[in-house]
Amino acid sequence: MIRQPNVILGNDELLVTMGRRGDILGFFYPRRDHAQHVEESLACIYTGEKLLWTNDNDWHSIQNYIEDTNIVSTKLYHDSGIRISILDLVHPDVPVLIRRFKVQSQKKISGKFFYYSNFNVGETSKKNSGFCDSAARLLVQYWQNYYIGIHSLPEFTEWQIGKAMDTIWWTNSKYDMEDGKLQRNKEDIGNINNAAGWDLELEANGSNEFVILIGAASSRNLLYKRMHELSKLPLESIFEKTREHWVMWLAKKKVLKMPGLEGYENLRQELFSAYNRSLLMLYLLQDREYGSFVAAPEFDSNFEKCGGYGFCWNRDTSEIVLALKHSGYPEYCDLFFKWSIRTQLPDGSWFQRYWLNGDIAPSWGNFDYSTQIDETGSTLYAMDIYYKILEGLKKVEFLDEVWVSVLRAAEYLMKRTKSGIHESCMDLWETYYGIFTYTNAAIYAGLMGASHLAEENGEDGMARRWKKRAEFIKQATVDRFWLQDGYFAKGILNDKLDKTIDASILSTYIPFGMLSPKDPVEKDMILFMIENIQKKLSVPINQGYGIKRYENDSYIDGNPWVVTTLWLSEAMFALALDLPSEKAMFAPTNDIPSGNENSYTETVNKLTREGIKYLKCALAGATSTGLLPEQMDKSTGKPAWAIPLGWSGSLMLDNILLLDKICTRKAGNSEES
Amino acid sequence: MVRDLFMFAGFNENSQIVWFKIIYSKEPGSLSLITDFLEKEKAFIMFGHLDNITQKTGEYSVFTELNEDINPVDLAKKIKGLEAVSEVEYGISKYGMISSVDFPLNVIGVRGVMARALTIVDIIKTLNESVPHAEGLLTISGLKGGIHAAKYFKSIMPINDSNFASVLAELYRAVGWGILEIECDPKTYEGKIIVNDSFIADVYGASDQPVCAFMSGYFAGYLTDYFGKNISVREVSCKATGKKVCEHIISLAPSGASQEYQLRGDTR
Repeated sequence: MIRQPNVILGNDELLVTMGRRGDILGFFYPRRDHAQHVEESLACIYTGEKLLWTNDNDWHSIQNYIEDTNIVSTKLYHDSGIRISILDLVHPDVPVLIRRFKVQSQKKISGKFFYYSNFNVGETSKKNSGFCDSAARLLVQYWQNYYIGIHSLPEFTEWQIGKAMDTIWWTNSKYDMEDGKLQRNKEDIGNINNAAGWDLELEANGSNEFVILIGAASSRNLLYKRMHELSKLPLESIFEKTREHWVMWLAKKKVLKMPGLEGYENLRQELFSAYNRSLLMLYLLQDREYGSFVAAPEFDSNFEKCGGYGFCWNRDTSEIVLALKHSGYPEYCDLFFKWSIRTQLPDGSWFQRYWLNGDIAPSWGNFDYSTQIDETGSTLYAMDIYYKILEGLKKVEFLDEVWVSVLRAAEYLMKRTKSGIHESCMDLWETYYGIFTYTNAAIYAGLMGASHLAEENGEDGMARRWKKRAEFIKQATVDRFWLQDGYFAKGILNDKLDKTIDASILSTYIPFGMLSPKDPVEKDMILFMIENIQKKLSVPINQGYGIKRYENDSYIDGNPWVVTTLWLSEAMFALALDLPSEKAMFAPTNDIPSGNENSYTETVNKLTREGIKYLKCALAGATSTGLLPEQMDKSTGKPAWAIPLGWSGSLMLDNILLLDKICTRKAGNSEES
Repeated sequence: MVRDLFMFAGFNENSQIVWFKIIYSKEPGSLSLITDFLEKEKAFIMFGHLDNITQKTGEYSVFTELNEDINPVDLAKKIKGLEAVSEVEYGISKYGMISSVDFPLNVIGVRGVMARALTIVDIIKTLNESVPHAEGLLTISGLKGGIHAAKYFKSIMPINDSNFASVLAELYRAVGWGILEIECDPKTYEGKIIVNDSFIADVYGASDQPVCAFMSGYFAGYLTDYFGKNISVREVSCKATGKKVCEHIISLAPSGASQEYQLRGDTR
């Protein structure tokens, strides 16, 4: 069954996803994409009469992060007067999730506190083995070299290891809990589950605490040692160390100022929080060893309703690493491009998606006609952007490192764009085959980037050739796809021009820069596109409008997407910044919204105001913990799918940085005047 | 359970099936007044039932077959005009095949649905063919149903050693799942259940393995909740494997570390 998380946490080796009531949905170790060891893992109260499962709808929950950290607080309230406060954190150095449960009750309780888990260690329910070492008070389940263990403080007093799905149902730990007493079976094999139990004796308004450690290791010995060592440390010191780890990491970020946003109630603070949260979230999606990112933590590993998200796409990751670079974390680019050099296919292109270690992932893009050429363009484009910010020796070394890869990728793009538009392939939404505006724009940017790198490398001939092709692609795309209605067609599908408006056409401006606002005609084209996308793709939600991908989109109900909504706002902000090329054109204003200005300033302010509206809509589509999804529910505006999506987070970073620039520039002008 | 359901009347293009729910005052002769009136109006009563709502009023739900030229709306108004009648609701079965007065149906205290046996068996078959641990999954699914049934019966009537088996048998017959012969000793928790005409085995088709794990689970859940002990029920012979009837063996669930191996006859 597909369940979307509300919160994630982890460290370099461990990624945990949880529901809004603190139930574990995913436990990824040692990589973010593999293996996912948990089917279910949660607490349960036995009241003396019945079981109260903490993921049941009867519990009201409030869940949030401890500020500027990936430490999670979940508060659960039950109508019976029981309240559970859960503090979840992952130790920064070892793959162990530490869960502190504080149980309070208004009424006297004489029952049990249970912690139930159905582990699929090694991402399989087959051939698992589990045991309870009652001397060490450790519940362990393992498969090959994956070991998952549960230890607790105070030590659990009863346990069960049983069959999770079998005709001998009475051994099933879940059913064993029903009578409030566990059978203490010590070992079993196959598809198994486990439970640990403690007495829960509470006077009215009394409380009790249980600390549960769920650890992972590559051997039994290491698991024992880890759990033993960790259990000796006071929780307060682990908490402080973990908090400090995240605060220190965040301290490296580019500092935001956001002056002049006073007119927008709470927006400044909201943006600061969203900025930090996006950074902290992206940390957890990256593989520290390989530099690749999962698009989102996997939630549909059986591909029941989609193709899955727990893989690395070059398209998403190119945008993510650039956003991180702009935010003060350039090292992510470096690692990702090393990974890209390694994963490039023999023909110079990049595959649809990869496992984080660089192996090609399950794909429906195995052929030339089904590959996504834009991913090769995006990667080249990102390499060049990164190169441009490097200085000195690093610049030289980077170019030397990527040059062969650039050459191969550029030649691949040349091979597939002989007519000026690309040969038929799959679109960025991974749905249609044909020729697309978005893909052409990505190829344009890739070839322009490659041309620049060639020039820097002293390869003027190649530079000229690639630039010429890029310009040809731009001309052909404008000639063939620009419509009199004021926007680019989606592309050519089944040999016919598809005039459906698709938000991805914004890529001709942002990020790929095929159109420049410095050219008066192109500036108008950008403005027309923005207007048409607003007009035709807006969906009213969250007291504003979200942007859906394209007309008649039917994927997961055709919800508006955070990515497309933030593309639009980013285009607006970028345009607001790109338009003023002369200082004199600025009108001195303190606040962003103002009246009675010259038309130029009015356009800039209008773009900013409108952009803020879309930005706010995307912010409102986040989870209670601030994680941005891929989509927002078109009826409720709530997060709907793929939570958190790295791409959404990176676009949030881009948007906030642009808005910060706008605010700073305005404040500067105001001071000068 | 399905008192307000009318099924499979057979399609007749010259007539229509119309039901009336009539609230009437329980004066002597008032019900006769209604049935006489319906007869006079050429409304053929196919079946009906009575509910004594209060001391003074009753509810008479009746399915009728009317000629196509009779307007049900007018007829309802006329019924409402009768002296003993205070309220009339009506509904028309357009195709005369199946119609229900009340929605939704209710089965042992909770919402029920009707389905062809094959509909359920198709689900079971798909699970057996495609899902690991399908037998365990079906056992656990049945277990939940059996536990609910026992809890429900205990809540509405005294259940004891003399009637726990016959109540279960009555339920099975009523919902069309099968005809049970139950022998179970409440002291040893041992015995067997013969299922004649199990709806699963009947329509499953030939199989090498017993196919009624869902029923075993259901029996286990019912008996476990009634006895307050974990009861194991295993199907040892099944009509789908060519036997005459299905047989499920009842025993107290074993306890101890190696219980599952003992149960399966594993000697290791």
